[in-house]
Amino acid sequence: MGAPKSPASSAVRWSFGIATLLAVGGVATAQSGAGDGQDGRTQARPVFALDHHMLRTVCLDLLGRPPLPEERAEWLDKDLRDFLKQTTSGLEFWEHWLEEQLYFFLLIDNFRPENEGVKAVPEKLFEGRLNPREAVHRIVLSPSFELRNPGADTFVTVVMEQLAGMRVQKRIRDLEIGKALYDGKPGTFLKHHGDSQADVVKICVESKDFAREFISREYERMLHRAGPKKPLSSWSRSFHKDPAEYRDLVRTWMTSEEYMRRLEEQHPLSNRAFVNALHVDLLGRMPTRAEAEPMREALDGLGDSAPLRSILARLLLDSGRVRVPSKGELSSRRDWAASLFPRFFGREASVTELDAICEALDEPSCQPSTILYALLSHPEYHRF
Amino acid sequence: MTLRSNRRDVLKLGAAAGALTGLGGWGLAQDGRGRTQSTPAMEGDEAPTVKRVIFIAMAGGVRTRETFGTPANVPNLQMMADDGVLYPRMRTSNLGHFGATMSIFTGISEARGIRDNARGTDPTMFEYLRKDLGLRQSDVWVTTSGGPQQTNYSYSVHPDYGPKYGANTLDGDGIFNKEFKELLDTYGRPKAMEESEQDLLDKVRRGIGRTEDKAENAAATENAAKVERYILEELTRGTSTLRGANSGDAKALRVARNLVSLFKPKMTGVVLQNADIAHGSFNGYSEVIRRNDEAIGEIWTAVKEDPELADSTAIFVLPEFGRNKDLNSRRGLDHGDGSDDLRYVSGVAWGPGFGKGRVVKDDVRTIDAMYSACDALGASPELAKGQKLKRLLA
Repeated sequence: MGAPKSPASSAVRWSFGIATLLAVGGVATAQSGAGDGQDGRTQARPVFALDHHMLRTVCLDLLGRPPLPEERAEWLDKDLRDFLKQTTSGLEFWEHWLEEQLYFFLLIDNFRPENEGVKAVPEKLFEGRLNPREAVHRIVLSPSFELRNPGADTFVTVVMEQLAGMRVQKRIRDLEIGKALYDGKPGTFLKHHGDSQADVVKICVESKDFAREFISREYERMLHRAGPKKPLSSWSRSFHKDPAEYRDLVRTWMTSEEYMRRLEEQHPLSNRAFVNALHVDLLGRMPTRAEAEPMREALDGLGDSAPLRSILARLLLDSGRVRVPSKGELSSRRDWAASLFPRFFGREASVTELDAICEALDEPSCQPSTILYALLSHPEYHRF
Repeated sequence: MTLRSNRRDVLKLGAAAGALTGLGGWGLAQDGRGRTQSTPAMEGDEAPTVKRVIFIAMAGGVRTRETFGTPANVPNLQMMADDGVLYPRMRTSNLGHFGATMSIFTGISEARGIRDNARGTDPTMFEYLRKDLGLRQSDVWVTTSGGPQQTNYSYSVHPDYGPKYGANTLDGDGIFNKEFKELLDTYGRPKAMEESEQDLLDKVRRGIGRTEDKAENAAATENAAKVERYILEELTRGTSTLRGANSGDAKALRVARNLVSLFKPKMTGVVLQNADIAHGSFNGYSEVIRRNDEAIGEIWTAVKEDPELADSTAIFVLPEFGRNKDLNSRRGLDHGDGSDDLRYVSGVAWGPGFGKGRVVKDDVRTIDAMYSACDALGASPELAKGQKLKRLLA
């Protein structure tokens, strides 16, 4: 089978085509009774209609946070493809992308790049003045990367491993040549001439190996699984040829059969996503960096961060910053409890769950904050 | 069934200690080549002498020249060696800090990327101990210094082991730092929960989620409560204010000392990292070694002064690899020249039943240490490729 010429043609093979969905039956074409327009025309339910679960999951996978209250209001029951188009065209998509890249290179805490070149990356990507390959190149050339990976051996090893996906133990000769380049000696490194540390980076970042490694890593980050071999190699070729196509690839992946399968699974919420989720779900906004970083760093310091996540949830609930209704303010305890499940878990509550919460709320010592705490410290909140 | 596995099963079942006497790994020890040799047998109903292990991976790349080659840098380690067993020829693999340190815990040379940030595929010593000895998570702790990467040492993704046998892992610098403490001070500490509210909380937690969540929830509750309490208390003890070139290592060692004194875990692992400052500063590197030796000395003193720990605790200390033979252009030391300074390090073992003042000049490997630590406690690291450290026992 020949390689597709563009990500769009990959999408044909790897997406739920409209035809497929139509064949499923009523799902795609069903007319919503309540959806009848005032002009008498019927409205078809979108092919990829966003429900609470899909919206929460897609937001976390793409933006590293759950949907904001206004997004829930705007996008529920709307088409995933429209949501993807809007989201991947926004600045926030690239801001999150940069955070993920910095985390991948472990350029965090004291090693976080503070130079203007890296700080400007999201905006330049958003404006189309930079593509992802150039952005990665810029990150790796930052002084922070050098500080994080000091010395010829460490620097060249990390560049070969993280940019080109090579195992240096199997490429000892290339490593030695790379180290010589790092020290300013001329040489042929991975079939290209160079004589500087910058050349080591340039040669790796412009290689086909980089495209393959980058695309494979990004696919895995968003779909939580290794990419299918053949499409991966075709996507890598497309990316190598035109890195600006990255966004189209992401949209293709997020409407693929594989992503629909991912939606049926639960994956662990990373510590950084947990910190964002806690703020969005309780305060309706993203945390500032000053709020998020100490929390993330502390959570990353634990092999099992659940106990500290629990402390942080309580900390926020008890801080007086979260608007928690009193028992007296709840006109219907059951309705209030039911409203929490789509918000926190991306699903409706079961009758048994609502019974358990209402029964607890009948006890004098149980407050609404007790219920919020129980949900936020529950294992289900730590997956998505 | 081997003698060792027989003993392990007996331990697991909690059978009478008398049954252990003739079967114990310490009764019949194997040398490095698998041959058995007799060692002093335990008397009567005596339990195994080693009940707890403190295992310090002095990672970050530390040469013998700056440790036992310059005894003034490491007076405490030298004293420990004088009272224990010194291995000046421990062979390592230069697999990068992450891979080489992981190898120390898995007993298998692991080729890993320097900045890989994922669990290993082979079980760690912590998983062997928890599974074989039926230990609770609160019995096995690891304190680290190197951030998120090092928390991966707590457990592997091996299908027969994995998270349910993981260690409690704390990165000293990640949690006990000024910024986090300030954040807690700004938000205010969480209110103490009354018993009745706690009961209701548990009841609500049990009432929600899928069936499998309920089991996970219940299992995690006891350990989580303990860790929660510990973290909040540790934040008031001054660990957050430790400063200096080795502040990350100092915190890992301080947390370990406090854990050993407070909880007396069966296994306390410590992973250091700050010696890697050597890339840019030889003097800074030497200072880190001196300070870490001092902090290790504090742990050793805490053990010797605690009657419950003094005669039942073993300590292992070893680097993951050394450093280059020669200084680089920045007057620092990299790691990558393949020299003996890089490939061989010195490790020390001290504990009840171990040799005293012995120097074993034969080659051993860094991956052998975990094997001996597991064996001392009665666990069998079945997939590890190491062997017992030669001539460890008295």
